[in-house]
Amino acid sequence: MSRTAIAASGHSSDPGRTIFPSWLKASGRTLASFAVTLLGLAALTFFIGRLLPLDPVVAVLGDNVTQEAYQAMYKQLGLDQPLYVQFGRYIWGVLHLDFGMALTTGKPVMADIARVFPATIELASVAIVIGTSLGIPLGVLSAMYRGSWLDQIVRVVGLIGYSAPNFWLGLMGLVLFYATLGWVGGPGRIDFTYEFDLEPVTGFLLIDSLLAGNWEMFGNAVSHIILPASILAFSSLAYISRMTRSFMMEQLSQEYVVTARVKGLSWARTVWGHAFRNIAVQVVTVVALSYAFLLEGAVLTETVFAWPGFGRYLTNALLAGDMNAVVGCTLLVGVIFVTLNLLCDLLYRVFDPRTR
Amino acid sequence: MTNRNDVTGTKRRSAGRRLLSAAAVAALCAGAGAAFAATPKNALVMAWNVDAISTFDPAQVGEVVTNEILQNTCDTLVDFDPADERKVQPSFAERWDVSPDRKEITFHLHKGAKFPSGNPVTAEDVAWSLHRVVKLNFGNAATLTEFGFTKDNVEQTIVAGDNTVTFKLDKPYPTTLVLQSIAANRVSMVMDKKTLMANEQGSDLGNKYLATRTACVGPYKLTRWNAGESIVLEANDGYWGKAPGLKRILIRHVAEPGTQRLLLSQGDVDVARDLTPEDLKDLEGSKDVSIVKVLRPQLFYWGFNVADGPFSKEKVRLAMRYLIDYEGLGKTVMTYLGVPRASFAQLGAVGALDAKEGQPFKLDLDKAKQLLAEAGYPNGFEASVLFGTLPHANPIAQSVQQNAAKVGVKLSLERMANAQLFSKVRGREYQSAMLAWQTGVPDAHGNASRLVFNPDNRPEAKQTQYPSWRSAYQDLALNKQIDEALLEADPAKRDALYATIQKEVMEKGPMAFMFQMNSVAGVRKDLKSWTWNGFRAYYELATK
Repeated sequence: MSRTAIAASGHSSDPGRTIFPSWLKASGRTLASFAVTLLGLAALTFFIGRLLPLDPVVAVLGDNVTQEAYQAMYKQLGLDQPLYVQFGRYIWGVLHLDFGMALTTGKPVMADIARVFPATIELASVAIVIGTSLGIPLGVLSAMYRGSWLDQIVRVVGLIGYSAPNFWLGLMGLVLFYATLGWVGGPGRIDFTYEFDLEPVTGFLLIDSLLAGNWEMFGNAVSHIILPASILAFSSLAYISRMTRSFMMEQLSQEYVVTARVKGLSWARTVWGHAFRNIAVQVVTVVALSYAFLLEGAVLTETVFAWPGFGRYLTNALLAGDMNAVVGCTLLVGVIFVTLNLLCDLLYRVFDPRTR
Repeated sequence: MTNRNDVTGTKRRSAGRRLLSAAAVAALCAGAGAAFAATPKNALVMAWNVDAISTFDPAQVGEVVTNEILQNTCDTLVDFDPADERKVQPSFAERWDVSPDRKEITFHLHKGAKFPSGNPVTAEDVAWSLHRVVKLNFGNAATLTEFGFTKDNVEQTIVAGDNTVTFKLDKPYPTTLVLQSIAANRVSMVMDKKTLMANEQGSDLGNKYLATRTACVGPYKLTRWNAGESIVLEANDGYWGKAPGLKRILIRHVAEPGTQRLLLSQGDVDVARDLTPEDLKDLEGSKDVSIVKVLRPQLFYWGFNVADGPFSKEKVRLAMRYLIDYEGLGKTVMTYLGVPRASFAQLGAVGALDAKEGQPFKLDLDKAKQLLAEAGYPNGFEASVLFGTLPHANPIAQSVQQNAAKVGVKLSLERMANAQLFSKVRGREYQSAMLAWQTGVPDAHGNASRLVFNPDNRPEAKQTQYPSWRSAYQDLALNKQIDEALLEADPAKRDALYATIQKEVMEKGPMAFMFQMNSVAGVRKDLKSWTWNGFRAYYELATK
């Protein structure tokens, strides 16, 4: 039996007898599962895309095109090749970080994603910060004071956050805070006036304006992001607070909580110092999932706020039959979910000693 | 850099934004104040859905949005008169001579002009620009091939001379038609040959290079295009012609009409291009905003595949026209958006029937029923109607569906992405479909040559650029009449020929034309001289 086989068969108590340390094997497994997930995702999106009755040639050349030009472009795009050849070529390109050209913009898909994704990351990050910083305390408080007026208010707010469409909330928010009260900037990431003053460095306007030391521009960017981020945060808040409440209520019914109270610990210390630590892992998962959904791009919010983000880019690509862009974006979404899952695993180790 | 003196705003909004921004900044553990910025005095700021842009190559462009941007950045040989689109005026060609037999037109070009790259504009650039359109053979090549220019002959028939360019035509086409169709069209936009050939990939004549930029001469130059985000045009300082009134044109991509309306009302944009009829109605009485509209050469129609089935019968197609509530829809769904029009020749075109003669139909269920009975369908039939994402398509289709049901015709409606709709129609894979068609020529020939004329109706001929072929419709007698009208030298006789063709097509053609569309916009009143006609918007004439 080879050394590797011995290690695999479980007789690996002696680290010196294994070729690969356990952390390396674990990383290898993770990477392999990462690669298989992405390959599966790419294959699924690619083949479904090819089955859709959308014509990429018309997306490039328009409706008013001669058959001769149509055939030439059909060939140029490689659509005359068997599907497995097209897919093989695509994957070969992806391995070289070439996702092909976006038919709708005429630019490399990677360049497009690099341009639109920072806008979405910025919006989603501000939204998740707002949603988490309000959602967790509200969830905990509502569990602590179950049945009180505070609990009722949080439940109603949660219900509205779940059920009200972001599209409608966005428009109403714009009418109230932008058009009527004039408290926030309008649609777009920044006033047009400032766009000329900004040299993009990171693509994140809040950071770029700070790097430029331009506080006026930073304030303007904040005034533009605060409303769409709050609208998105609202639905995250609803989800996070409801889940936190549910996790916390389960903990508060445990005997150790009663014991802690009997021993004279204050409510706040019992909840925040003991019970909350026990739900931290679950809350991290909820927050990570919320963040992942926000990073996928909130199409309707981005549309209402003229926010040039990822969700809108993906939707437009899909409607135009721009499959290079669609598959590229889908892979990115896959990477986001897998990465956040990995991050969650790491955080579990921080919050829960049993998982170390 | 932006001149800060141009930035103005109201105290209330500014203070409000500062307040909320301050709170937000505090929340973000930072501190800053926001400032309100109205549109700059030296710039035109426009909210527009510019998703459709995919290239700036005049040889390839087909979308209205890109065409308008190119028209303001790339000079053509002649231009449409802003006051009367049927007339042309000099542009990069100062003047032109026509041979007695009408088969040669010589354009005399401006001297001393330079491209933004610094390269001089030569007659060779002008001729080469036209050659490349034919050689690249995208959809726009048809604009030239229809007049006899082919890949094989274009270098001999469009010839550069001593600061002149000569068109050698195969037939004595009406000169005005050639000027409107070619010399004022994007196919004659003057391109920077040196720059494009230096950036040629394969043998694409600079097509890929133009996917994200322009290389031409005009009052403005494209300085920034972020797909799905914004477009910036800046005045071309070295422009040979009159300097434009405003230094910059800033176009922000705003897909949602409600958002456009808010931006316009707040003064954050000067022009909003995609407002809904409801928004337009509400803004009609505004003290700050004017609603401006102009008829454009776009027709919304219900097209039939006449290859087989009920729509192969002329009387069925005629009956369908009587199911369209032109008047009712015109007063509701299409208020602001368009006017009823049943003729293929758009209002305003040379040779077009007038508003009354060009729209003789009205909703008449009895007449429709009678025609169906005569066609052999006394109990009606079942058929499908495809339509895309145009906002007015759905309510119009539903209205027609309801009327059709009253005469026993069961129409099933199928809404789909535009790309899917075009694919199905191009492949003749449909029974009927509602969609739009726009011509680039203010002459009845523009639409007659595509919507009625069909050179080869065989499925394998794949004449997909002809909507008539997509409808599987060919009438050899009409083909002949269209050829006759095209070459008729006497304007009065020509008009009469087109009148006959239009009346005939309204009775039996493969398309029930429904509405001619308007271009409509909300314009802030502090923007002066917003000038447009059906064929272009003249950014260079706008001032503040």
